[in-house]
Amino acid sequence: MSQLIKVSHLYKNYGKHHILKDIDFHVNNNEVVVIIGPSGAGKSTLLRALNRLDAPTSGSVIINGLDIAKKDVNINKVRENVGMVFQHFNLFNNLTVAQNIMLAPVELKKQTKKEAEANAHRLLKLVGLDDKFNYKIPQLSGGQQQRIAIARALAMNPKLMLFDEPTSALDPEMVADVLDVMKKLAKEGMTMVVVTHEMGFAKEVADRIVFVDDGKILEEGTPDHMFNHPTNPRLKTFLNKVLQA
Amino acid sequence: MKKRFWKWALGSLIAIISFSCLSLMGNQNSVKAAGEPTYQIGTDVTFPPFEFANSQNKYVGIDIDILNAIAKDQGFKVNIKPTSFNGAIQATQSGQLDGMIAGMSITPQRKATFDFSKPYFESGVVTAVKPGSDIKSLNQLRGKKVAVKTGTEGAEYADKIKNKYGFKVTTFDQSNDMYQDVMTGNSAACFDDSPVMQYGIKQGLKLKIITKPAMSGPYGFAVDKGKNKVLLTKFNNGLAHIKKTGEYQKIVDKYLNGKGGTPMGEDNSFFGLIKQNKTVLFNGLMETLWLTIVSIFFATLFGLIFGLLGVLPNKFCQGVSTTVIYIFRGLPLLVLALFIYTGIPSLTGTKVPAFVAGVITLMFNEGAYIAAFTKGGIQSVDTGQMEAARSLGLPFGKAMRKIILPQGIRLIIPSFVNQLIITLKDTSILSVIGILELTQTGKIIIARNLQGFKVWTIVAIMYLIIITVLTWISNWIKRSYKL
Ligand SMILES: Nc1ncnc2c1ncn2[C@@H]1O[C@H](COP(=O)(O)OP(=O)(O)OP(=O)(O)O)[C@@H](O)[C@H]1O
Ligand SMILES: [Mg+2]
Repeated sequence: MSQLIKVSHLYKNYGKHHILKDIDFHVNNNEVVVIIGPSGAGKSTLLRALNRLDAPTSGSVIINGLDIAKKDVNINKVRENVGMVFQHFNLFNNLTVAQNIMLAPVELKKQTKKEAEANAHRLLKLVGLDDKFNYKIPQLSGGQQQRIAIARALAMNPKLMLFDEPTSALDPEMVADVLDVMKKLAKEGMTMVVVTHEMGFAKEVADRIVFVDDGKILEEGTPDHMFNHPTNPRLKTFLNKVLQA
Repeated sequence: MKKRFWKWALGSLIAIISFSCLSLMGNQNSVKAAGEPTYQIGTDVTFPPFEFANSQNKYVGIDIDILNAIAKDQGFKVNIKPTSFNGAIQATQSGQLDGMIAGMSITPQRKATFDFSKPYFESGVVTAVKPGSDIKSLNQLRGKKVAVKTGTEGAEYADKIKNKYGFKVTTFDQSNDMYQDVMTGNSAACFDDSPVMQYGIKQGLKLKIITKPAMSGPYGFAVDKGKNKVLLTKFNNGLAHIKKTGEYQKIVDKYLNGKGGTPMGEDNSFFGLIKQNKTVLFNGLMETLWLTIVSIFFATLFGLIFGLLGVLPNKFCQGVSTTVIYIFRGLPLLVLALFIYTGIPSLTGTKVPAFVAGVITLMFNEGAYIAAFTKGGIQSVDTGQMEAARSLGLPFGKAMRKIILPQGIRLIIPSFVNQLIITLKDTSILSVIGILELTQTGKIIIARNLQGFKVWTIVAIMYLIIITVLTWISNWIKRSYKL
């Protein structure tokens, strides 16, 4: 049970606003951790601290043995091993589907063009979209775009995948397609940190659930513990709200 | 196919630029190569009968002919630089020009900054009004407006007596505009040098002279104070000599008493004007296009550099970009052009050819606009694109080049084409530093024939045709790239 992520005493301020307050958090290898919490709680900020898209104000963020909160680490090297999937997909609009997937491995000399192309086909099959190889981005639906975004992140063969509300911007009938891909990844043993409001997914796939509110981790535990025996009153209120909806 | 087009376009652009640099250098060499000294002399080419372009677009007039006669007599060469009167004054003071001859009165004030030759002509200020006007003396000008041309004796005269007679002064840069103002009735009268006025009326100008010449003033050839003593001596010696030989009198008679150099009998109908001036107008148009192409090339480089600097994640670079854009967008083009053409030489002591000064001016001004919309275009690319690229481990520069710039540049192409059209129009302002582009060509033709309305109509139509063609091209580009 080696730890892939270890966050200690993490603080994040935006000016006078304290967004994250003394966060301690860890993720083991091959573990799926789901982060839940109300809007504005700081979930995205915490997730984005894990690849330094948001630089921490203080504290340490150790990824695979390297403290990326320190200024002198080569963050690009770390990010090569940390895939990220965004709420709004953020596929590169000037490139085709295949080019989106192949860009980083080829530019960063991880794969030859030929290897990258074969890899792209394999990943598109994995997400069920091999027929869209040469499509332009605006020709795809939201659900298709998000699955391609997952394939793009996987193309670098990351050790860790971060998901920030990957299904929140999708029409309901497309949510299942994306969640299916994520379940497949979890089953294959990918280490994942997922911010989501999909409680069904959390219950089914998560090894551990972390509840964040007001910039702090208020409770964490197994899905059974979190859903059936919650102790923190704010977690109880939160669950009441989302489970009724 | 697309790729080959851009390669071709880029190749030809580079060829054009290097050719222009070569030809600029070539010009300077040819001046130096001559055995006799060549002096750069400024003049106001819109001041007939002293200096104007004849129907073959050669500079002629009393001043020009006298200067040429003296040059021949004394064995030196002159290169006549047509600018405005004020432009010539500044360029002479800054050392851009060796001297000026422009119907320039010798006044104590001017003697403080210029050294003058012996007077070569005696003139005086007269008052002219519309033929039907009932104004018969200066006393009747009370409460009315009087038109004058900047820097002339007439302007000084008006200033001196305006309180006594109680009129208001309106100032113009071009003689023709001043006359027009009187003919349309905006101003009740205008003051001008008597030979100029006489010549104009002989040209069919609908004005009548109501006073005797006042404030008789001697005209002199001027050099910057304390400089070019040799040239001044040569001028004085030559003047004395051509007066003795009678050549001087011949020249004066030719313009004031005979028909010699005056362009009487030109066909001043609309199509007659086009036919007569088609070569000079075409040359002016070419100069305008040339100036536009060279300027937009350098402005684009300038704009891309400072626009990109503005989106780097570095406070210093952003500050530089913002400051440069702020300064060069804030300065009026006219001020910038005059500053570069006359200001820089006074500071550094090196001459700047008018064309180069013009290109630099447009590079800064249009370049600042290009920088601003380049920066804006790049910033308007969704931030998620950059985040996604960085999250994959791509360094900032690579993410910029592969993802952000291709999208940003697509966004700015319409603004860029628009800027090209604006640049073309802005070249007209460079007529103040004497670049013989389309607008300056128009001014010169009008100074000769005083057909302001028709000539400006022709010039306007020429601009419109070019801009229409450019607009078609830009629409075609937008359509074929589905912008
Ligand atoms: N760049 C920023 N500058 C200032 N405040 C910010 C910035 N980014 C986020 N915040 C603030 O930080 C707080 C936490 O934001 P965060 O995006 O982490 O919340 P979240 O838990 O992901 O919420 P949601 O479920 O709505 O996505 C919010 O109050 C937000 O307004
Ligand atoms: Mg969020």
